Amino acid sequence: MTGATTGRLRELSRRTALGALGAGIVGATVASWPRLSGSDIPGRGDNSLSIAIMGTSADAAARQRAIDAFTRLHPDIRVKVQAIQAVDWKDFFTKILTMVAAGTPPDVVYVATEGAQLFADKLAHPLDEYLRRDAADMAEFFDDVHPSLVEAFMYKGSLFQLPMDWNAANMYYNTTAFGQAGLERPADDWTNVDFRNNLAAMRKARPSDFTPYYWTNRLFGGVVPWLYANDTSFLKETRSAGGDWLWDSFYANDPSRNLRSGGYQWLEPNADDPRVFETFDYLRGLVKDGLGVRPEEGGGSSLVGLFASNRIGTTPAGGYWVQGLHEAGMKENDYDVAFFPKWRSQRHQFGTAGYAIMKTAKDKDAAWEWIKFSASREAMELIFPNPVTTPARRSMVNEALYAGKGPAHWKVFYDTLDKYPTTGPIPAPPQQAAVETALMKNVSLAVSGDERQLKQALESMQRDLELALRRQS
Amino acid sequence: MTTTTERVSTRTPAVPARSRRRPNWNLVLRIVLLMIAAVLTLGPVMWTLSTSLRSPSESFKLPPSFFPWNPDFTSYAQVFRQLDIVLLVLNSALVTGLIAVGQMVTAAMAGYAFANLKFRGRGALFSIVLATMMVPVQVTIVPVFMLIRGMGLSDTLLALILPAIPTAFGTFLMRQYFLGLPTDLAEAASIDGASPWRTFRSVYAPLAVPGMAIVGILAFNFHWNEFFRPLIMTISEQNFTLPLGLVSLQGNLGTGSISVVLAGVVLSMIPALVGFIFGQRALQDGLTAGSGK
Amino acid sequence: MSTTIPRRDRPKQAAKAVKAVKPGTPATSQTASGRHSQRWLAWIFLAPTILGMGLFTLVPIAASVVLAFFRWDIISAPTFVGFDNFAEVVQDPTVRVSFLNTIAFVIVAVALQLGLALALAVMVQEKMPAWLRTFFRSAFFFPLILSAASVSIFMRYLFNEQFGVVNWFLSLAGIPAVPWLTTPGGSAAVVILVYVWQNFGFSFLLFIGGLASIPMETYEAASLDGATGWRKHVYVTLPLLSPTTLLASVMAIISALQVFDQPYVLTRGGPGDSTRTAVMVIFESAFQRLEFGEASAIGVILTLIIMAITAAQFRLSKRFVFYQ
Repeated sequence: MTGATTGRLRELSRRTALGALGAGIVGATVASWPRLSGSDIPGRGDNSLSIAIMGTSADAAARQRAIDAFTRLHPDIRVKVQAIQAVDWKDFFTKILTMVAAGTPPDVVYVATEGAQLFADKLAHPLDEYLRRDAADMAEFFDDVHPSLVEAFMYKGSLFQLPMDWNAANMYYNTTAFGQAGLERPADDWTNVDFRNNLAAMRKARPSDFTPYYWTNRLFGGVVPWLYANDTSFLKETRSAGGDWLWDSFYANDPSRNLRSGGYQWLEPNADDPRVFETFDYLRGLVKDGLGVRPEEGGGSSLVGLFASNRIGTTPAGGYWVQGLHEAGMKENDYDVAFFPKWRSQRHQFGTAGYAIMKTAKDKDAAWEWIKFSASREAMELIFPNPVTTPARRSMVNEALYAGKGPAHWKVFYDTLDKYPTTGPIPAPPQQAAVETALMKNVSLAVSGDERQLKQALESMQRDLELALRRQS
Repeated sequence: MTTTTERVSTRTPAVPARSRRRPNWNLVLRIVLLMIAAVLTLGPVMWTLSTSLRSPSESFKLPPSFFPWNPDFTSYAQVFRQLDIVLLVLNSALVTGLIAVGQMVTAAMAGYAFANLKFRGRGALFSIVLATMMVPVQVTIVPVFMLIRGMGLSDTLLALILPAIPTAFGTFLMRQYFLGLPTDLAEAASIDGASPWRTFRSVYAPLAVPGMAIVGILAFNFHWNEFFRPLIMTISEQNFTLPLGLVSLQGNLGTGSISVVLAGVVLSMIPALVGFIFGQRALQDGLTAGSGK
Repeated sequence: MSTTIPRRDRPKQAAKAVKAVKPGTPATSQTASGRHSQRWLAWIFLAPTILGMGLFTLVPIAASVVLAFFRWDIISAPTFVGFDNFAEVVQDPTVRVSFLNTIAFVIVAVALQLGLALALAVMVQEKMPAWLRTFFRSAFFFPLILSAASVSIFMRYLFNEQFGVVNWFLSLAGIPAVPWLTTPGGSAAVVILVYVWQNFGFSFLLFIGGLASIPMETYEAASLDGATGWRKHVYVTLPLLSPTTLLASVMAIISALQVFDQPYVLTRGGPGDSTRTAVMVIFESAFQRLEFGEASAIGVILTLIIMAITAAQFRLSKRFVFYQ
């Protein structure tokens, strides 16, 4: 009988426990409903101007001071910055397209060269009318910004973005490794042959646990700077007509005025160009002789650690790298930066970024006010306090930005544009994602085998690019 | 495995008595091989842990170090600066917890129906359920995405939870589980004149708990680590789950630091590790149960 | 398939459960009203699962099939293109290569995963101190709790050609640096190794369960007959384990066919197309190029292939799986 009673009691307490568990789960679900439905995300569903940037919430918070300043200027416009995490720009654009697909597109998007034409072609609203209207206010901005950066955002005669920040592929080098190999700082017009000799000298000085030239396989800083230096590219580059309205009103007196056009066009593949072969063959030679690594595909987060631990002699990178190296413990004299080596030309590759207004934006005038404000010196100083990128304004690339962090020759960054006015953007037609894949997937094969494999890789690159460019988006 | 006449034993075996007299070569060989496998399994994790506890400039130290002798926590501080780890864990916990509970309940009910209740079309329906297991999530993701949009749930955690609750595998497991229970239980109940519902509630439901635990643990493990659906379904970082947050630590254009990335990886392991310590026993018991207790 | 289920009366029940594609004994009363109320209860119990699956799996599959006949980029309205997407997909060398990669990957990865898991399970289940057994089981299970994405992140560093730990160990043995992630063979090997490293633990646990369900008398009888060591496993363990092997291989194949995280993080499908898998191609064409129709066409083809493989597997299993 006692057994039966305890059994019943046990049954009872079991039920109570189960009931409590069930109630707990239901309670927890109800309590976390705002989290589950996303309604606790500030600004969701309201009609404030939504601005999407690539980055983390820390990056969004860093813009808070700029937002505050903007609100003081335009108390009627409410702004929210939405940071979108992504591995690279391609990934970021995927996310923006997903937002479009979800029916919740942002009003303004921070777009890099990689996506400039994708947005211009399909998603963005041109800035032309606003620039004409506010030409007087904008003159000061264009005065301070190199026209090459602006031209990168021209598409079929219209301007879609104002460049905010940019980076060229310069050559970083480790001063210790150069010293050990008995090398001096390279001359501004060093050639690809000089470069190779320097690598060989470093290899001799440090035979192991060291790589003279480290590079990764991506659109920026991969194989493209070498193609540009050799005065070619993997896509045929042409320019479209138009855009004179802009050049005449803002850059009439610029020495490179007559170079400017209505925007770049990449319509045909060019991987069968003999110079493309020559360039790849040069890189293949570096790999074969142990002077350069076989490039890995993708971001390459090993890079900072490897460079900061003196395992890398040289690597292509831009002004964005200074802060990262500083944080990894590199002193300002441990490394320096030089121009990219000269070949047939010394044309450099750069990438830039700026805000684009979406066609679907509810209040385009407000969006333009944000863009205009962001281009002001005041706003850019708030947004770029550290050398995590190179500001588009020449006057901001100064001693103060690099003080205590290096490199000694930081002037190289903006001189890349001023001294080499033909320096061009990352080739990125509207079909950028497909084109990038077509390039990247064949690079490793091209540089890591024999000549036959190189030829095959370039043939398949040509074919893949043809397919990619035929696609509509 | 050379010379033995030993039985395969699943009881907790005694240390072989013979080993005092002469070495048991079979045992020694097996332990050596298993040790190699264990080192290969745990080594990479140890390396990750010790590298995350070194400064970025030390991260590529060779020869490799597998023990963090002089831990340096700056990378961890950096992770907390870059990511809202607490929110990521909360999101992951909410998503996986609710999916697990949802799967346990619905799978138990459906599994019971397929195992113990008679109705027309049972076989056909069960085959359809099984067949859905074979359809890769990538195939259905676009229509599911549009469906979620239609429900007004774009970029919410519910968009991750709701589609994951109906589970073919869980239903299959629970059906097998109910089939494995002795049938005389139900016979006894039906002699008592109990209705099917009473039979379920008073006889089978209490017995189903261990099976449900397996379903829950497997669901938790799978969805805690899920990458693809969150990659597509969530946009705001407020809705990110752990695996997504980690990948973004790698940084654009190689500006990330390996030590920071690995610190993030280690942090993400901790909740799973806690679950592992508690869930492991249940899961192993579940999967190996009946071995002679 | 019996092995995943705790049971009281094995092994007879085990065999029954294995054949469980056919339902077992109905458990409740056989009267008319009983059947009636059973039917009601069944539909109530099935409702959440069936409705959920209908909404989130079956409708999307149907939608996918329809979408495969349209060109659609989400931004503009879809246009009907007939079989164009299929024609393009079939001609696309990248798609073809990625399907072949997937099949090769499944064969190699599943064979390695099952072989390793079985060998380790057999070794762990024979006599050894209990604490050691617990340690080994936990160790082999451990990688399963990690996310494939984070595993791929740290494996990328370990397999770095110049500075990775793997090549450092190989160099101790005098093996020159292997270009793991930058050559087709190397990166395929890494994707397979990383995948198997993470997943063999699951098959391992299934095999442990399967081994535990083999009655000891069988081995006693076998050893009386003079079967020892290897022969014992070949003649007793393998046949008796075949239901578990079927379950483990079906599950391993289904999951390997859908491999995405590892190649996506490790190699992005390269170099060339050497590690591009079928589901990666679906992802790329849908979410990077906005070719939703084409992506659906690839998805439809892939689904048909998976179904054919699974059907073939069950066919074969009828011949090779041994039920007690």
